[in-house]
Amino acid sequence: MTGTITKIAAVILLLSAGSCRNSSMRHGGPGFPLADSVPAGEAVKLSEEAVADIVQNIASPVEIASILQAMQVPFSAGYLAPTQEADRLTTNFQKAVMLGIYGADLGYLNMYEKTGNSVEVLATIKRLADGLRVGQYFDFETLKRLSLSKSNLDSLLYLSVNSYNQIDRFLRDNDRGSISALMIAGVWIEGQYLATQVALSHTDEILRDRVGEQKIILGDLLMLLRPYRQSSEEYKSLYEMMEGISTEYTDVKVSYRLGEPETIEDKGRLVMVQHEESIVEMSDEQLAKIAEMSKEVRNKLISGQ
Amino acid sequence: MKCPFFILSIAMIMMPMLATGQPATDDLVSTCVIAAGENTTYLKDFRVQLPKAAPNAAVPVYKANMYLMKNMKYRFAVCDAPESTGELVITLYDQGKELISSYNKSTGKKYSSIDFICNKTGLYTLWYDFIDGEQGSGVGVVCMIK
Repeated sequence: MTGTITKIAAVILLLSAGSCRNSSMRHGGPGFPLADSVPAGEAVKLSEEAVADIVQNIASPVEIASILQAMQVPFSAGYLAPTQEADRLTTNFQKAVMLGIYGADLGYLNMYEKTGNSVEVLATIKRLADGLRVGQYFDFETLKRLSLSKSNLDSLLYLSVNSYNQIDRFLRDNDRGSISALMIAGVWIEGQYLATQVALSHTDEILRDRVGEQKIILGDLLMLLRPYRQSSEEYKSLYEMMEGISTEYTDVKVSYRLGEPETIEDKGRLVMVQHEESIVEMSDEQLAKIAEMSKEVRNKLISGQ
Repeated sequence: MKCPFFILSIAMIMMPMLATGQPATDDLVSTCVIAAGENTTYLKDFRVQLPKAAPNAAVPVYKANMYLMKNMKYRFAVCDAPESTGELVITLYDQGKELISSYNKSTGKKYSSIDFICNKTGLYTLWYDFIDGEQGSGVGVVCMIK
């Protein structure tokens, strides 16, 4: 009940803003970018172009934070990137990576309902977004109010995740894919840092699997970054650092156990339970090396090196 | 969340203040996030606009690839734009194999959302199309079930 009401409140907030902003809605419907629509055709294949679309979905700090919550891992501000570093950032490369890193931190803060602590992160994100000319998608004032009220978590989570999705969409639609890729890499590395650091100190099979499974995802992330790696020394350095993490994953094995899915109807909702399973084999030593390398890369990025 | 009416009141008070300077946000996406139900956390949205299928041609489809993670529960909700002729349907594929669809062609039953309890981390493909290849627009929202 309370969840529904908070969501209704969120929509009232959003619709009120939208009513002044989106005149197309009042004249026949929302504006759907045609670029989003593609015709049916060939079977699914993973060209590099397709990978660019894939990777938009790879990094969800909210999902990692939910695992940590389920593990009852207490919140630790020590995992957050220091915001004072952000004032020293000068290049778009640095700003984009850090926008991703702080975005992951924001997801972590919000999932743990540490919303009062998030205002500084929000302010930093706003500055970086403005610096990259995508600040229009980040409604700092609303997010700040929601954070300080410490009450409407659903709205806060929705608005913050949606802001990043819109920034990402805008960048890719405006031929700024290299900036989008950096932001995604930033989100990924911070999520990876958080997951690996917690995995070192807390034994949990699910989190451990999540770290191991990044082997698959990192491959696509590298593919996303690859076209830009010669564009600057910074990009080249990032790519090589990410390759370094990938190298630590070489001997991690991900295999699959077949199983037929089961579909049930539960309270009028269709539910599929997947019985095919992915299995990760990763030793403690491998985990430690991956964690160390991930930490090194993340710390280099936040120090602007 | 302990005092929902207070929250609602705050939201109402804030409405005029928020009416200016708000970045672009899709109203239909917001509505669809609510339609996804309680205990969900929004992850992603896909905006779909497709033409009517040409005679004897394949039904137009919007495809999106998304990593889904083991041990996570996902909800895929679909919402039609008010002016949409067609009804939006989502079908989830794993490496070209259909897993689940919000529309059962044989019975004609349509669901506004489907839940997927994921046990295999990997790349899945979301296919969005409109029933009978009608012209339409709508949004698909992906949420994590808490």
